[in-house]
This record gives sequence, structure tokens and C-alpha cells, in this order.
Amino acid sequence: MSELKDCPPLKYYDFKPVEHGKLCPRYTAVLSRSDDDGIGIEELDTLQLELETLLSSANRRLRALEEQRQILTDWQDKKVDKRFLKPGKEADLMTTPRHSKPKKQKLDGKGSHGPGPGPGRPKSKNLQPKIQEYEFNEDPQDIPRNPKNDAPNRFWASVEPYCADITNEEIRVLEELLKTPEDEAEYYKVPVLGKHYSQRWAQEDLLEEQRDGARANEKKKGVMGPLSELDAKDVDALLKKSESQHDPPEDGCPFGPLTQRLLQALVEENIISPMEDSPIPEVSGKDMGNDGASTSPRSQGKAFRLAREEMHKQELRQRVRVADNEVMEAFRRIMAARQKKRTPTKKEKDQAWKALRERESILKLLDG
Amino acid sequence: MALVSTDTKIAEYLTELHQLIKQTQEERSRSEHNLLNIQKTHERMQTENKTSPYYRTKLRGLYTTAKADAEAECSILRHALDKIAEIKSLLEERRIAAKMAGVYSDSDPPRKTMRRGVLMTLLQQSAMTLPLWIGKPGESPPPLCGAIPASSDYVAKPGDKVAARVKAVDGDEQWILAEVVSYSHSTNKRHTLSRRRIIPLPQWKANPETDPEALFSKDHLVLALYPQTTCFYRALIHTPPHRPQDDYSVLFEDTSYADGYSPPLNVAQRYVVACKENKKK
Repeated sequence: MSELKDCPPLKYYDFKPVEHGKLCPRYTAVLSRSDDDGIGIEELDTLQLELETLLSSANRRLRALEEQRQILTDWQDKKVDKRFLKPGKEADLMTTPRHSKPKKQKLDGKGSHGPGPGPGRPKSKNLQPKIQEYEFNEDPQDIPRNPKNDAPNRFWASVEPYCADITNEEIRVLEELLKTPEDEAEYYKVPVLGKHYSQRWAQEDLLEEQRDGARANEKKKGVMGPLSELDAKDVDALLKKSESQHDPPEDGCPFGPLTQRLLQALVEENIISPMEDSPIPEVSGKDMGNDGASTSPRSQGKAFRLAREEMHKQELRQRVRVADNEVMEAFRRIMAARQKKRTPTKKEKDQAWKALRERESILKLLDG
Repeated sequence: MALVSTDTKIAEYLTELHQLIKQTQEERSRSEHNLLNIQKTHERMQTENKTSPYYRTKLRGLYTTAKADAEAECSILRHALDKIAEIKSLLEERRIAAKMAGVYSDSDPPRKTMRRGVLMTLLQQSAMTLPLWIGKPGESPPPLCGAIPASSDYVAKPGDKVAARVKAVDGDEQWILAEVVSYSHSTNKRHTLSRRRIIPLPQWKANPETDPEALFSKDHLVLALYPQTTCFYRALIHTPPHRPQDDYSVLFEDTSYADGYSPPLNVAQRYVVACKENKKK
């Protein structure tokens, strides 16, 4: 698999020198003259043109050589340089670097070699078949352009999700998110704790003893009668008193009413953020703080509201754009009228004014 | 006797040019060998379908050599072109000196008695031989190349061709092709114009293949020389040139046509300048 990374995206330019025999006849003729003959003044112009042709082709060759050499050098240093991609022609290959790196411009006939030597190699089929070996003179424009154009495209592609307009879909997602918490709120209620086990057991034991006592009483009615009754009664009374004191509140909070009140005060002061799963009664009113990551219903509601507002603003902006176009149209009409040396008709003037005023009113709405 | 020394210099330069051209060809044949090598390596790399480090290093070495060769070739070619420009300017000097001295040679009739056809040919030749701007890698076209405007403090030199706005006898203003005689603040014979009324013509052609940004684009409003005349008129660009030697194709504003514009006419790069004038009618 290391073969995959080993192919630099070289363009195999055809570095053929200009055929001066064909394209530069005067130049060729001059070459064959001896020093005595020299050049005539009248030949200067043609020579100039021919030399310019030679120079521009040499220049192009120079630039391409430099570019290719740079590619080889960079690639040698194992830089993952996405400069290699030709953005305009290979947008679909941008996704997987594996597939896009091997950019060898092979002749079509050799494309079938692909699957053989290296599995990742054969992407030449995706490349437009006209990118063959370049006849150097024909395709110089692509050379300097392609590396330059790539970076801004990539940047905007990555920033796109953040800057894009809000769609209805996204509003719906937010709505759904909002709904689900409402349903779940019920699940947050922890079932009532009930009495602590020691108390419960104590009560049960007491009942047990009462029963025993009652039975014992029945048996030993005469002997222990008054004493045990008193005892039982006392114990009962004691127990009841203690129970009433330690009766846990209905909603199952084990910490007692004082603690509850304290917590409520603290939350109101915004020192503690309320926890949804401990059923502290109604901490309403204040905002939840700027915790953007919190998923409490309140902040989701806020995001929802903001999204709605933004949608509304986007609609307005859209209308501004339409109004802009109308203004431009009216302007063009008036300019055309002026060029044709007639004054713009009343109709055109009215249209222009109307378009301008409409645009201003939308802008005011937007700002407001 | 100034003429003689110019002649000698011209002859000298011509010889030098000849030498330069020969050198160019030597350089080119030398580098051809390397270019062939590169081509062979390309072929082998493609048939064998792999790029081993051996090939890569080899290719890199070949590229570096070829680059050095190309640079040398470019440099000699530029010398040669500069030499031609020098010869031309000497010729121009000679012509002006001859006119001043009142000596007319047969091949250079004075402007006053020049026939229209001859003038047109001269104009055409001047357009064709406008030097092409060939920038080194990283160089951008300078002011007065193609559509790139002159820098704001540019002063036209004597001998520069310009488009000048002059008032004709009947009060009409017309843009004409003119040559700068001198730039001075004082009043002068012929036309004395403020700098605002002068637009210098481009001194280089822009190469569409390497510097398309130095060309006017389609539908751009320009002042262009009407073919077979020496007057500039407003026009819209129809198509910019494709190759360095091509002309612009423009549509002149013409009320005698139904849609207000003439059919496309060809005008050389030299005679197309940006139009800043606002038509007030």
C-alpha cells in the first residue's frame, strides 16, 4: 500500500523547443548568413516578432519546469501538499486524498495497467481523458493558475457550514430537540425515596413486638397487664413522635426542609445551577447563565428563537438583493437611454424611483 | 555629421544583434539534448508506471539543468530584443534629426506630404511591432502594458504616441492620434494641451497567454482608433485578442446603425486605450 503515496502528481509536459525552422523563417535565415552579410534594417520588425515568439515559449517552459521541480522537491519532503490537486477539473476527487493524489496523466491505452501494479493507482480513469501529455505550446494557462486557486476554495469549503444560510430543516431539528426534553422531563422524577430502612425496620419490629406483646398480654393478662400496656403505649407514643419529626417530605428529598430552602435561595442567587434530576421544586425565573453547552430547555429555546429571527432576517436580506437587482436594471435602462442620446422617459424615471424607494424601505425593516 | 555617427552605431548594433542571434541558437541546440532526455525519462516513467526514488531524483536533476538552460536562453533572447529596440530608437533619432536638418531621404518622406495610404501602413507597422511584454516568472505587467494604465505621475516623453483631445475649428472635440513633441508649461505652437487631455498609448503589447489581466475584457468601454483614420472614438470591446499578434475586435458607437453600434472591427492593441470621458449630451 505504500505505493499509493509514492506517486507525485507530475504533469508530463512535452518540453519541445519551438520549431524555429517552421515558425521563425527570418531567424533561421539570419542564422545561416555569414558575419559579413549581417542583418538589414528592414528585417528588424520580423525578427522582433520571431524573437518574441521564441522568448515567450522559453518563458513558459521555464515556468513549467520550475513548477514541476517544485512539486518534486516538496513531495520529496513528504509534505502533504494539496497544491497538487487541480481544483477545477477534479472536484469529485477532493474527498479522499488517497484517490486524488495519483494524478498521472496516462494515455488511455495504458489505463488498463492500473489495477495490476497498484490498487490505488487507477484513478486516471476519473481524469478527463483530454489531459494527455501536453503539447507545451497549447496549454500554458493552466500551469500557474491551478496551484494558486486551490487554497481559497478549500478554505471556503471548510467555512461553509458556519456561514451558510439557516434552512427550514435546521429549524425543524431545533424544534424536535426542544420537544424531546419536554417528554423526558417526566423521566427525571426520581421516585420517592420512602422511609429510611432503619426506621422502617424499627417500625416493623415495633409492630412485631406489639403483636407479640398483645399475644403475651392475652396470655399473661393478669400478671403484666398494666405495665406492658403502659410500656406499649409509651413506646408507641414515642415512636409516633419520632416519626412525625423525621417524616421525610413527600417528594423524597432526604435532606430536610431547611436544606431545601437553602438550596433554593442559592439557585435564585445564581450561585448553584439547578440540577434537573434532583427534584428541587421549581427553580424558575432567572436565566441559566451563559453556558452554551448546556442542554437545558431554556437555552435550547433561546437558540430556537435566535434561529427564527435569523431566518426572518435572511428573508429580508433576500428581498434586499432582489430590490438591488431592480435598481440596477432601472439604472441600466437609463444609461442605455442616455447613450442613445435621448432623455430617459418618465416611465423609466418612475421605475427607477420606485425601485430605489422599495429598497430603502426593506433596508429600514432590516435594521429595525 | 551627427547622422554619420548614428549610422555607424546602427551598423555596430546590427552586427551585435547578429552575434546574439547566433548565440541564441547555440544555446537552444545545447539545451535540446537535455529536453530530449527529459522526454525519454517521462516516457519510461509512464510505461513502467512507477516513480521510484531513482527516477524522481533523476527527473529533478534534469529539470534543474533544463531550467538553467531555459533561463540562459531567455536572457540571450532578451538581450537580442533589447538590441533591436535600441536600433529602432537610433533609427527614430535619425529620422527626427533628418527632419530637423531639413534633409529628407527617399525612404522617409516628411509627414506633411505623406500620402494617406503610406501613413496607414506606417501605423499598422507600428502597431505590429509594438514590443510584447514577456515577464519573468513572478513579474506582473507594468503600467502602459496593454490595458494597464499609466501611473498617475507619468509624463509622456517626446516621441511617445498618445491619444489627444483637441478642439477642432468648429468647436467640436475630437480624440486624435498624436505624437508628443515636447512637454512644457509654456505656450507653444501647434496644439498645447494640458496633461488631462492626453492619454499615452500602450508601450507594450500584453500577451494573452500569460497576462490576460492586462487586456481589456468584453464590453469594456474604450477609445479605439477607427481603422484607416487617425481619430479615436468610443467603442465597446467585442473580443480581446487570443494570441499576442491578434487585434481586439471592437464595436464602435455609431448612430447610423440600428442598435447604435458598428459591426465588429479590428483594432490593434496599440490603439486601444481606456475611456474616461463622460458623454454629456
